[in-house]
Amino acid sequence: MTLLPAKIHRPVAVFCLLLAACGPTKPPPMGIEDATRQLQAAREAGGSTYAPLEVRSAEERLSLAKAAAGKKDYEDALQFAQESQVNSELALAKSRLGKTREKVEARTRENAQLRQDLSTNPDGAGANSQ
Amino acid sequence: MNLRIWIPALLLTVCAAASAAKTDLDYARLRASLNDLAADPALGKLAPAERALAEQAVQAVAEKGGNGDEHKHLVYLAERRVSIAYATAQAIDQERRLDKLDREHDQILLAASRHDAEQARLEAEKQRIQSLAQAEEAERLRAEADAARAQGEVSAQDAVIARKQAEQTKRLADAQAKEAALSRKEAQLLAEAAAADARSRAPAAAPATGASKQMALNDSAFAPGAATLRPEARSNVSAIVAFVNRDKTKQIRIEGHTDDGGNANADLVLSQRRAEAVRDALVGAGVDSRRITTFGMGQAQPVASNTTNEGRAKNRRVDVILEDR
Repeated sequence: MTLLPAKIHRPVAVFCLLLAACGPTKPPPMGIEDATRQLQAAREAGGSTYAPLEVRSAEERLSLAKAAAGKKDYEDALQFAQESQVNSELALAKSRLGKTREKVEARTRENAQLRQDLSTNPDGAGANSQ
Repeated sequence: MNLRIWIPALLLTVCAAASAAKTDLDYARLRASLNDLAADPALGKLAPAERALAEQAVQAVAEKGGNGDEHKHLVYLAERRVSIAYATAQAIDQERRLDKLDREHDQILLAASRHDAEQARLEAEKQRIQSLAQAEEAERLRAEADAARAQGEVSAQDAVIARKQAEQTKRLADAQAKEAALSRKEAQLLAEAAAADARSRAPAAAPATGASKQMALNDSAFAPGAATLRPEARSNVSAIVAFVNRDKTKQIRIEGHTDDGGNANADLVLSQRRAEAVRDALVGAGVDSRRITTFGMGQAQPVASNTTNEGRAKNRRVDVILEDR
């Protein structure tokens, strides 16, 4: 190797480094949008009633994620957004379970009542009661 | 170049990770909990996709052993993934119980209605027999009256007889009307049951194969208002499986959509559950659940006008979208 190409190489390398350092101006995806949507879904599924703890954790972590993103701390933002999202998903699952349990209880009572009406009043008055 | 330094360093890292995993109490606890769920006779077979996600989250804890913030983060995620798997399995179990109770409810009503109809039939029969007896009685009275008239006495008895007959006829007609109404109700209940049966067996239309990056599953793959795939939609699912497996490096985004009829919140939940049902079917067909994310979009993103039936049918769909990582 001669001296000349090496001299050319160095500025090129420095330039490339600079370019790489300035490169990521666009923030990486942090999942904040998905976490927000999932939290919205959890709230609308009745999460505040059936899983208030999880919904609160999801809210807290979502705001932590937003704060971290504001400070350009993208790694923390991603972690908080993931933690928020998983809390929302748990709230959704618990709401689904809670609602179904309530319906099962109501239906069980209703069927028992209907059977009782029919056996104490066999002339069919029970058939008209809902 | 400095391979000699790298290889021992790498080995050291692997060993450290392995020993950390061994002593990791969090991992042991989560693993045991997940194993319990899988072994549960009632819940073990339910919610396979949620269990697979929990499995991956727990595995991630094992692989990134040790302490530190990242480990804590992974344990946090895994704990909730395991809880989600439990809650979802329990919810599905409860939904099955509810289905059973609903069927029981219909049967009780049907039996009650049959019982009513039977009672009315018996009542009508009783009335008919009574009316026959009274007709005989009336005939006898008339004969007596005739005899009396023959003796020159015009009797008021005729009027009494006529009134009695009219009363009896009316009672008979009432009973028959009641019987007819009850039979109609019974027939209606039976027809409804048959219609519900037919609906659940109706074939689902084939999905529209769209652009190369997206595929839609239309709402005939689901029963109205329900979030479980009809058995007939299996062929559509295999088409989607073939579609997503064309490029296994792509992420799969599953979006549920509804038309604008009905409550927006309920639609949001329903669309999410339908997207999850499609995800479960894909995972069941061997698609890696790590590739899949599901979203319920509700009414927010119509592809056609909601003012026509056709447009609304187009809007009720599940989109399967291939995305770059």
